[in-house]
Amino acid sequence: MQTRHLALLSLLTALCIGIQLTPRPPNVEFTSFISFTVGVVLGSWAGGFVGALTMLINGFLSPWGNAGLIMPFQVVGMALAGVLGGVYKMLFPGRLNSKGFCLETAVMGALVAFIYDLITNLGVGLQFLLSGMDPALALLLPIAYGSFFSLVHVLSNVVVFGALYLPFADALNRFNVGGLSWLKRERLHS
Amino acid sequence: MVEKRTLAFVTLGVLVWALMASAFVGYYYLQSRASSQQLDDNQYSLLKSALNYDKAISKYNALSGEYSALHGSCSFFSDSNYVELLKPFEHLAVALSRNYTSLLKTQEDLNEAYSELMDHYELLRQRGTVPKKEFEDLLNEYYNLFHKLVLKELAQLIGETVQQSVNIVIDYGNGTAVWRNDTAMSAGSTLFELTIKAALLNYTYYPAMEPGHILVNSINDKTTFTDPSYSFGYSWIWYHWNDAQKKWAVGPVGCDAWLLRDGCSYKWSYEYWHL
Repeated sequence: MQTRHLALLSLLTALCIGIQLTPRPPNVEFTSFISFTVGVVLGSWAGGFVGALTMLINGFLSPWGNAGLIMPFQVVGMALAGVLGGVYKMLFPGRLNSKGFCLETAVMGALVAFIYDLITNLGVGLQFLLSGMDPALALLLPIAYGSFFSLVHVLSNVVVFGALYLPFADALNRFNVGGLSWLKRERLHS
Repeated sequence: MVEKRTLAFVTLGVLVWALMASAFVGYYYLQSRASSQQLDDNQYSLLKSALNYDKAISKYNALSGEYSALHGSCSFFSDSNYVELLKPFEHLAVALSRNYTSLLKTQEDLNEAYSELMDHYELLRQRGTVPKKEFEDLLNEYYNLFHKLVLKELAQLIGETVQQSVNIVIDYGNGTAVWRNDTAMSAGSTLFELTIKAALLNYTYYPAMEPGHILVNSINDKTTFTDPSYSFGYSWIWYHWNDAQKKWAVGPVGCDAWLLRDGCSYKWSYEYWHL
């Protein structure tokens, strides 16, 4: 890993944490979007790293309080968002026209939000299970009662992924390419 | 021909939509099940309240009838010594105790009042001669207690379905005030019951005091003090929050005679007084 990649990941993780700790409507977030895009541009491991580290820190600092038992599920859920970015690039490497691409990333945003909610709901279900609830009920109740919040998450992710993916991914790509050209220029002067 | 890539994303979108819709269906199913369960519970508790109300009223009518008969006998009694009426009074008092056993067991203030009534009765019985005035006093004492028991029983019937939430603060007079917010009490509860629930209470029952017979000796071991000269001391005074005037208002009756209001705040304050 190059030092500037490490710096970029740290910067993006800090950005994610800053947004996570900022007051905002429930379930409207940008961490999954940033992790996913980093996953596409820099690879699955990088996206997974940003998502996991953000949720790990958020679990302790969140204004909603310590995440407790749900934190590992949040970490895994958000790491998967980054990994999905890498998988997406691997399965669909080509680039469509802007409109088609926005629709595609919007669907990915919905999928990422849905998977994340499913995983964190498992965490809530585990809490219910530990409190002595019937296993099937413990699994289904959080999904059913969290459906409204999931809908908010999915819709907001559709908008965020659909509208911001292209400019953000382009900016990250420019950062990659820009670094290499700087190295080339250094060589020219020597 | 639809492109493979487009097909994959349409499938993904439909999958997410279908799963979300299923979650919503689950949510509405659970909600409707919970609502119908709550409706059944409410129906059941209303029915139970109606049945218990019928029982309470039958009991009230029967005891009223017995009391009325004895009161009539007292009014038209020809002798000056009413000792003969003590036997029917005893029957009446026993009937009262039998009909309100659980209330007399659980409500300390009412239990005290019943003991006082029976002590009064025993005193008259041992004396042998009972003037009209004293027997009438005994009957009045009985009637007061009877009415309190009826009121309490009806309030408890409402309390089975209606819960109140009240706040209480204990101000120790040394800058320490401890709040206990959103304390659940059943409808018809008195401040005395709330205080017992919220703190360690020591009190004395004064039969002559009306309305309310309880005088607080200490709350959470903070004891009242009266100088032997009776010119100054420290006492526990209670207040209720007056919403209209936005200030604490001094309790006008004994704490056992004050019925709690939902959402209201009450305060016990340890205060210095002097004459």
